[in-house]
Amino acid sequence: MAVRRGEVHALLGANGAGKSTLVKILAGVHPADHGVVHVEGRPISFHDPVDAMNVGISTVFQDPALIPDLTVRQNLQLSDIDEAAFTPWLTWFELEDLDLDALVRDLPLETLRMVDLARALARDPQVLLLDEITAALTADQAERVFALLTEWREKGRAAVLITHRLAEVRRICDRATILRDGRNVALFEPNASPDATNGAATGTMFDVDEHDLVEAMLGAEVTELEEKDESEALSPNQPGSRSASDEVAFAVRGLTSGDVVRDVSFELRRREILGLVALEGQGQERLFSLLSGDRSPSDGEIFVGGRQRRWRAPYDAVGDGVVLIPGDRLLALLPNLPVRQNLVVPLFSRIRQWLGIPADERQRVRNAIDRLSIDTRAASQVRRLSGGNQQKVAIGRWLVAGFRTLLCFDPTRGIDVQTKRETYALLRELAASGAAILLYTSELAEIPLVCDRVLIMHDGRFVEEQDAARATESSLLTAAHGLEALA
Amino acid sequence: MSQAPLPAQAAAEPAGLAARAADHPTLALTGILAVLVLVTGFVEPNYLSVSGARNTLLQAAPLGILAGAQTILMLTGGIDLSVTMIATGSAYVAANQSPEGAAIAILLGILVGLVVGSANGVGVAVFRVNPLIMTLAMSGILLGLFTAWAQTILQGSTQMGPFIKLLGGGSFVGNRVPYSVVVWALIACGLIWLLRRTGWGRLLYAIGDNEVAVRLAGVRVWQVRITAYIVAGVLGSISGILLGGRTGAVDLQLANAFLLPSVAAAVIGGTSIFGGVGGYTGTILGALILSVLNSMLTFLNVGQAIQQVVYGGIVLALAWGYAGLTRRA
Amino acid sequence: MMAGLRSSCVALWRTGLARNTWTLGVWLLLSALLLWYATLIPVFGQFQVTSISKNSLPLVYLAIGQAIIVIAGGIDLSLGALLLLTNALAARFMDDQPFAMVLFIAIVLIAGLGILNALVGYIISVSGVPDIVVTLATGYIWSGFALWILPSPGGGTAPEFRWLFTGAQSGIGGTYVMPILMMAVPAILVFLLSRHTRLGLSIYAIGSDSVAARLAGLDVRRAKVSSYAIGGAMAALAGLATVALTGTGDPRFSVGANATLNSVAAVVLGGVALVGGTGLVLGAVAAGVILIMLNPILSAMGIDPNNAQIIQGLLIAGVMMVGGLVTLLRERSA
Repeated sequence: MAVRRGEVHALLGANGAGKSTLVKILAGVHPADHGVVHVEGRPISFHDPVDAMNVGISTVFQDPALIPDLTVRQNLQLSDIDEAAFTPWLTWFELEDLDLDALVRDLPLETLRMVDLARALARDPQVLLLDEITAALTADQAERVFALLTEWREKGRAAVLITHRLAEVRRICDRATILRDGRNVALFEPNASPDATNGAATGTMFDVDEHDLVEAMLGAEVTELEEKDESEALSPNQPGSRSASDEVAFAVRGLTSGDVVRDVSFELRRREILGLVALEGQGQERLFSLLSGDRSPSDGEIFVGGRQRRWRAPYDAVGDGVVLIPGDRLLALLPNLPVRQNLVVPLFSRIRQWLGIPADERQRVRNAIDRLSIDTRAASQVRRLSGGNQQKVAIGRWLVAGFRTLLCFDPTRGIDVQTKRETYALLRELAASGAAILLYTSELAEIPLVCDRVLIMHDGRFVEEQDAARATESSLLTAAHGLEALA
Repeated sequence: MSQAPLPAQAAAEPAGLAARAADHPTLALTGILAVLVLVTGFVEPNYLSVSGARNTLLQAAPLGILAGAQTILMLTGGIDLSVTMIATGSAYVAANQSPEGAAIAILLGILVGLVVGSANGVGVAVFRVNPLIMTLAMSGILLGLFTAWAQTILQGSTQMGPFIKLLGGGSFVGNRVPYSVVVWALIACGLIWLLRRTGWGRLLYAIGDNEVAVRLAGVRVWQVRITAYIVAGVLGSISGILLGGRTGAVDLQLANAFLLPSVAAAVIGGTSIFGGVGGYTGTILGALILSVLNSMLTFLNVGQAIQQVVYGGIVLALAWGYAGLTRRA
Repeated sequence: MMAGLRSSCVALWRTGLARNTWTLGVWLLLSALLLWYATLIPVFGQFQVTSISKNSLPLVYLAIGQAIIVIAGGIDLSLGALLLLTNALAARFMDDQPFAMVLFIAIVLIAGLGILNALVGYIISVSGVPDIVVTLATGYIWSGFALWILPSPGGGTAPEFRWLFTGAQSGIGGTYVMPILMMAVPAILVFLLSRHTRLGLSIYAIGSDSVAARLAGLDVRRAKVSSYAIGGAMAALAGLATVALTGTGDPRFSVGANATLNSVAAVVLGGVALVGGTGLVLGAVAAGVILIMLNPILSAMGIDPNNAQIIQGLLIAGVMMVGGLVTLLRERSA
């Protein structure tokens, strides 16, 4: 990948495609395992973020690199940035009223993004790396950022923009690199013709069709092939098991939590896999923590098997057979303990189970390991397992303990194709044997393979329900962007 | 000299020996213990005898039990700085009640640990006070309470009854095996069973490794924490009663000197202060190493000053070596 | 224009107050206790103020040092032992020396212990062994050295040096000017250093969020080592104050251990959370004085001074429990 002077380069890819990791390598946070970064033709190796700053690369990370317990002014002082260089940028972003003596902790995320960006600009960098800069911004703030990028390009500086919003890419980017599974799979160069290179603003990404981008991000041909395989492998389970007559295992009505989750209602039947699709940060994390008893909703009701439940902790939810497989494996695993210890934790949630160990513990663990075919060569510490095997351990815990309703948060993020397939098959198998499953996934190709119905969430609300078998990636993505379906 | 084996071996054959030592830390610790015993025997030939072993074990028993309390808590990411005051207080109560008979004296002594441990546990688990601060404050409260009570409700006997003296300092089989070591051995078996063969033990490790994950797995973490502090308190009591029995008479400084060694023994034994890693076998070896070290330094007659320097140096070297080994692995 | 300026000053002052409620509360508590103490005894004057301020010097110094280390996300259980070490070195080498020489020794000790503890900070940062374990071990080493240098209580210092910390060459009586000055100057210096220099802010930064600090381009190791250096220098100052107060050296291990534990208590009571990144050095100063002041107040109330221990413990545990409860309720409501 090469970034030219005077261009805004888009870096695109589905969740977990490796965009943020690439940014962190370019910013000097992680060392690269292989390969070289060239700056103005010279190879440079970064050991520290400072090294990257010194050669003129300034980065705005997804999580603002501001110290929460200090004020904005103190944060500037720490980075050795002149306020005089900083405030003009604040004015540019229409934040001239910002109190520089406010604690970073107390400021809203969108303001922090802008402050972080203004700080990066105050360093007067040659290359600007922006990781999801517009994700938390309001529309007019985003406008200011675009205006900035246009001017930035005219100054002959470069910018790399990582984003999920394709409309942005078409509007302001000159070229786009697509990443999938950590590799760059495509480069879109609308103004590649030799005569266009002189005029900076002639050809833009506007000429590229959005659907081509989406296809490149998802790897359309590959998924199609897989789809055939999968549907053959799964076909015995599919019809029949999706019967609407099964009893409702789990239901919520009017579930609300602040303004993150608003008035969410749905019913989940036994033997059903209900899909949930949303872009990043639409309230799905909060929704799952409400459904698993980790947080209490500010309003709304949860029903299990028809009876209303009030949970104070996951303890209560697990007691009702509602269990969670968290998306972040750091929340699920005991990283320094062996596989067996990880699998058996829920067996001891009640005090009467504390003294002693069930006689069939070893057998249950073995069954779960066999059923999931967990690779136990590095079983002494779960953190040494591969991502896929870690995910199997997180699922295996509930096979050992038993459950009735399974809440799965993005179980296939960042794991290999083989494990993904096994996971789909397992979920179908579990549903067939009577479980109710709610599956949030960021991999849209999974939806028609695994789910029966799919709900789409946008800005804290459910905006649409589709029949999973007929849902396509583009229909899902369109709805998830909060747009009306294409005609 | 004595801390040499671990780093020296690691340097000589980085791949083989270091890896093996990382996989079997208890073997490395046993090696260090053996070297220390031999060096001590070299300094004082009489040490390599039944009575030498007896004296070391007499010293090690109360320390080992206190370090057991520390191990349990450190596995959950906690610590108890009040455990030596619990020990002292229990010994005080037991001495005071000795005229009422040994059974009542011991039971009331253990009650002290039960009550104080529960208070610590509630503070840490329910009110989420940092364990360091909670138990530090508790230690101050206990010191104040017992100083005041020594002149009021606990006035009277400061002598342990004959049975407790026998338990703490006596031996059987021709004056070879101390009773306190038998008590320690029973407790050690109990602790190892608890940590390895019960759900409670599994949960201790799990909480220390990742509390959030344990909560999401449907466990009430506070229940586990409170019980851990109670068990630690009871262990402190037992240790204090044995210690009081050994010295015969009790005073308010009885167990003071054991606070830092109790933490050090657990750390040397490979229990991480951040939780999730370790076990009681290592702690037993740690307590033995510190006791042998103590004997050796006493025989060398180097004075308390050098004793403390060597003590600190060895604790640091072992902890550093351990961190290096586990990181490499 | 002026009105605008004034209102912005007032606003600044208000946010400052809101943000440092805890520090302010501790200072209010200190003032209230002082007032109460004044009404408890028949004559309240120079003698009491002098005695409280000079007796709290060692703990206040340790609390300042501990506060800086805790703010940086560490903890130092060897500060009391460093106090012992300075105490022993000072009493041994200052004995019968002229004042100039004594001052020279004092400065060498402050610098030397700063460097020594910086080394400890470096070891922690390189080895990956937790702060608490390393400083536990070094605490043994330093108190061993103290005992080696001064095997039994003894030694002495120049009378002028005693005046410097106590306001009286004999160490008894005197005026409160010197002790208060000796407390205020280092406290304010370290406070300003911690809030208004890049080094101080980076100490807060690594304690608050060391990942963000690294992303922002800070040298995390340098900040950590610096915090330990300041801690060491403050412990040296505490040791010097002890020599000046008592006129002699006392290398007993338990003195150091108690001093360490009290410094941790003062820091936490003063609003510096053990997780790091928050709180002010000045809060720890006030809390240190409060912990020392409980003794005379209780004896003035006719309570057995042994109960001071109980009150102190209850105070710390109670305050921390209320703090924990408040955060718990806030989390629930959020």
